[in-house]
Amino acid sequence: MGLAALAVAGLLAWGAAAIPSDAGYAGVGPDFLPWVVCVAMAICGALLVWEAVTGGYRDMEEPSGAPRGDWHAMAWVSAGVLGNAALITTIGFILSCALCYVLAVRGLRISEGKAGGGLMQVVRDVVTGMLIAAPTYWLFTKVLAVSLPGLTATGWI
Amino acid sequence: MMDILNQLLGGFATAATPVNLLWALAGCALGTAIGVLPGLGPAVTVAMLLPITGQVEPTASMIFFAGIYYGAMYGGSTTSILLNTPGETGTMVTALEGFKMAKSGRAGAALATSAIGSFVAGTFATVLVTLFAPFLAEFAVTLGPPEYFCLMLLAFTTVSAVLGQSTLRGLTALFAGLAMGLVGIDQITGQVRYTGGVMEFMDGVEVVLVAVGLFAVSEALYNALYEGRSVTSMNRMNRAHMTRTEWRRSWPAWLRGTAIGFPFGTIPAGGSEIPTFLSYATERKLAAPEYQKEFGTTGAIEGVAGPEAANNSAVTATLVPLLTLGIPTSVTAAILLNALQNYGINAGPQLFQTSSALVWALIASLYIGNVMLLVLNLPLVGLWVKLLKIPKAPLYAGILIFATVGVYGMRQSSFDLFLMYGLALLGVAMRRFDFPVAPVIVGLILGPLAEAQFRNAMSIGQGSWMVFVERPLSATLLVVIALVLITPRVLAWHRRA
Repeated sequence: MGLAALAVAGLLAWGAAAIPSDAGYAGVGPDFLPWVVCVAMAICGALLVWEAVTGGYRDMEEPSGAPRGDWHAMAWVSAGVLGNAALITTIGFILSCALCYVLAVRGLRISEGKAGGGLMQVVRDVVTGMLIAAPTYWLFTKVLAVSLPGLTATGWI
Repeated sequence: MMDILNQLLGGFATAATPVNLLWALAGCALGTAIGVLPGLGPAVTVAMLLPITGQVEPTASMIFFAGIYYGAMYGGSTTSILLNTPGETGTMVTALEGFKMAKSGRAGAALATSAIGSFVAGTFATVLVTLFAPFLAEFAVTLGPPEYFCLMLLAFTTVSAVLGQSTLRGLTALFAGLAMGLVGIDQITGQVRYTGGVMEFMDGVEVVLVAVGLFAVSEALYNALYEGRSVTSMNRMNRAHMTRTEWRRSWPAWLRGTAIGFPFGTIPAGGSEIPTFLSYATERKLAAPEYQKEFGTTGAIEGVAGPEAANNSAVTATLVPLLTLGIPTSVTAAILLNALQNYGINAGPQLFQTSSALVWALIASLYIGNVMLLVLNLPLVGLWVKLLKIPKAPLYAGILIFATVGVYGMRQSSFDLFLMYGLALLGVAMRRFDFPVAPVIVGLILGPLAEAQFRNAMSIGQGSWMVFVERPLSATLLVVIALVLITPRVLAWHRRA
């Protein structure tokens, strides 16, 4: 985390250097706060690294849950979210979100130590996903006039 | 005084129209539901529903959002008492005694005292808001950019340095939020900053996106990663009902809790953790000797009644700085501020003049909402408890669908969905390494406002830093900030010595 903060500080510095410091009356221009945040981030990052090296973070609260992550389950959920992001404009909100639901629910079930489930379970998940996504889609597009992408131009799917 | 009463009556007239009553009811019901369910807090829910600001008129949507905010507090205590998994930081203390009470078969009494206590505190606090907010607004008109900047600085300090386990991790989170707030077009000069040539970054990073990513999606990922095998046991429910003794033990605690909570909500000191813990400590100390041994063993009713009242009172009081100064002191308040900004309404001292109809309707709706919530949570509490039976896997997977609606519906860009995933990963890491998340949101929303105030102040002082010290009020605020930062350290050092 400390190294990440340092990296962000570096990124901020690189970006801040590109902002002109045209100050006007105020004596501080648009590049002032970026530099402040950048320096603060660098200090925080350095301190975090120092804490981590010298015996870990101070006053840590024990994180909840298992000591080791279930990366297999995480991969399924991530695939759901990322797949949704990649496909939503092409296959429409309902199908894309149903897919996201199917992948995510599988991952979460695996994390609970249950089997991912066979074909029947997948079919059931697809139906559940559609049942959540479709009314949501209709509610938001028809009633609240929020535009969400559809597969067809009919506005129903 | 008469003036306030007239305006309040006007507010009731607006809030009590059938449409607005329906919005209030929908908000309260939805709020209670998400308060009961794990994984969704009021902040994320309001954030996900922000797209409706494009369609629904401001008064109705603010009433709706306030109902959600309120309802979640009521619902959250139900979960704390029955499951010992507080959804909101404010209900953490409720879980201490409430869960123990429920374990020894007094779930009904715990639920009743928390619902009635929330009602009492919410109503009293709303009366105080009604009385004080207009005066504070009148006073706030006299504040200039230097004072505003110092107030925001105070909010930054308290939310990051005082709350949470470590000042360092709090500050890191705050600066991460400030850094996100920098992205986009500079308000004053129109200079483009940190977009890296990506068009989507021109408008800045949406608060909704960050809130949904950091809270909702990261919660789903965290559950898949670490919490899959955690088992929660649920306490047996019984009818929400209190005996005469329990009433007698509860009501002083409600009143004390209300008194403790309100001041903490009004100052930009963020959150309801401090008042709820303070109220808990007070009740523990003040309890009659024969009840004192119930604390931490079978569960004492005072330990539920006080903190619950303090929580609701503080939550209601956060509306004072939000409406009069435009300064949010909690994550949900920050999102409400964002909703107002969507309507082009600037929260601040002028709000009571420019949008007085909206403000008074909102305040009136709080009175109405409290009554609705009491009804929703006392006789109908069994209904909400059924929600706890939804298995975790479909629940979190379903939340992802709603997250998509909120984030995509904001700007119709799938780029935002990828960004949301990135923020969710950040959220998982922050949770694992015990970084607080609230400072990120507060930094993101207040950052650009604070920067504008800072630069305006510097313009007033013609480039001189002295402008912050020369004005008495801003100088005082700077001293307060210094005290807030130094006092805990001195105390800790003193204790060690």
